Amino acid sequence: MDPISYFQAIVLGLLQGFSELFPISSLGHSVVLPRIFGWDIHQDDDYFLSFLVATHVATAIVLLLFFLKDWIQIVKGLGRSLRDRYIAPDDTYAKLGWLLVMGTIPAGLLGLLLEHPLRSLFASTQTAAIFLFVNGLMLFGAEALRRRAPVRSEQGIRSDEVIARSLSFRNAIGIGTAQALALIPGLSRSGASMGGGLLSGLSNEEAARFAFLLATPIIGAAGVLKLPELLGSQGDHVRGQALVGALCAAVTAYFSVKFLLRFFETNRLTPFAVYCCVVGAALSIGFALS
Amino acid sequence: MTKRPQLIIPAVILGVVFLVIAIVYWTTDAGSLPSFFPGHESGSTHIHFKHGLAAAVVAGACFVFAWFQTGEDRPTPTASPD
Repeated sequence: MDPISYFQAIVLGLLQGFSELFPISSLGHSVVLPRIFGWDIHQDDDYFLSFLVATHVATAIVLLLFFLKDWIQIVKGLGRSLRDRYIAPDDTYAKLGWLLVMGTIPAGLLGLLLEHPLRSLFASTQTAAIFLFVNGLMLFGAEALRRRAPVRSEQGIRSDEVIARSLSFRNAIGIGTAQALALIPGLSRSGASMGGGLLSGLSNEEAARFAFLLATPIIGAAGVLKLPELLGSQGDHVRGQALVGALCAAVTAYFSVKFLLRFFETNRLTPFAVYCCVVGAALSIGFALS
Repeated sequence: MTKRPQLIIPAVILGVVFLVIAIVYWTTDAGSLPSFFPGHESGSTHIHFKHGLAAAVVAGACFVFAWFQTGEDRPTPTASPD
């Protein structure tokens, strides 16, 4: 019998695609949901990790394609600055590129070194539910603690330019480090990086944009590093389901990023904070009683 | 960004050190790693690929930092008073 059915793969793929980008913790949901449905799937099972690899790679590809024009400009900007050994103040994409590099390094290092111990330490559904509640508090806190009025996109000025102007390299390192919180099931990577963006003076829209750009290399690298597991013996009996799950994740990831960029033009993190607090509290109580 | 040419040599040395650490992680199993290395486990034959990758990333960051410091120092343009 296959460890994951095709129905489960579709549900988990759809869930992974949108919860990876919404600030509500995909890992937390992928830990909690199987228990709610009574599925015999655990986040530390080898086959489930292999399945998640495929959905992560799909999400990263969608993000890369969605922001492809930006990424081409960013890579060119990085090349220009390396050639000149100088980041020109008016070179938006060179600055943005190095902000992304600075943000990715701490998240990548912490991910490489702490992923396994943290996942093992906080593997229980009860812990994930509690951290989902904490994630809600974190989102509330980020909105409440904005240090200054958000920088709104001025007429004719692109979001990338606002981000490059507003963030310092120190901000980028801080946001990148905050992303590592997502190694704990229940805490959201995009929530942490959006919150960090807000605290650094970005508007919700630009904070979300920067969070998505920052997510691409991290999610992609995490997926690619574990791809051998999916292609090796651990992937036996789940490759078909992983492909279906990846396709579902790609569809929801595409619509999620499109929706969230528009949503944050006029809205804040508050609805997601409310969702995480309510669901986290309800699940914590429910799991404790059951 | 202010250039600090005095940091070029320390950054390169640090980069080389981390590169060596990365190679040690990739070529030595956990049981044979020096005992002060994170990931050392007596008797283990596991290769800590990710630890090596982390060290290589830090080495790369050191080299890129050193490379930028070798460029000429350009004054940051200030806004004109008009």
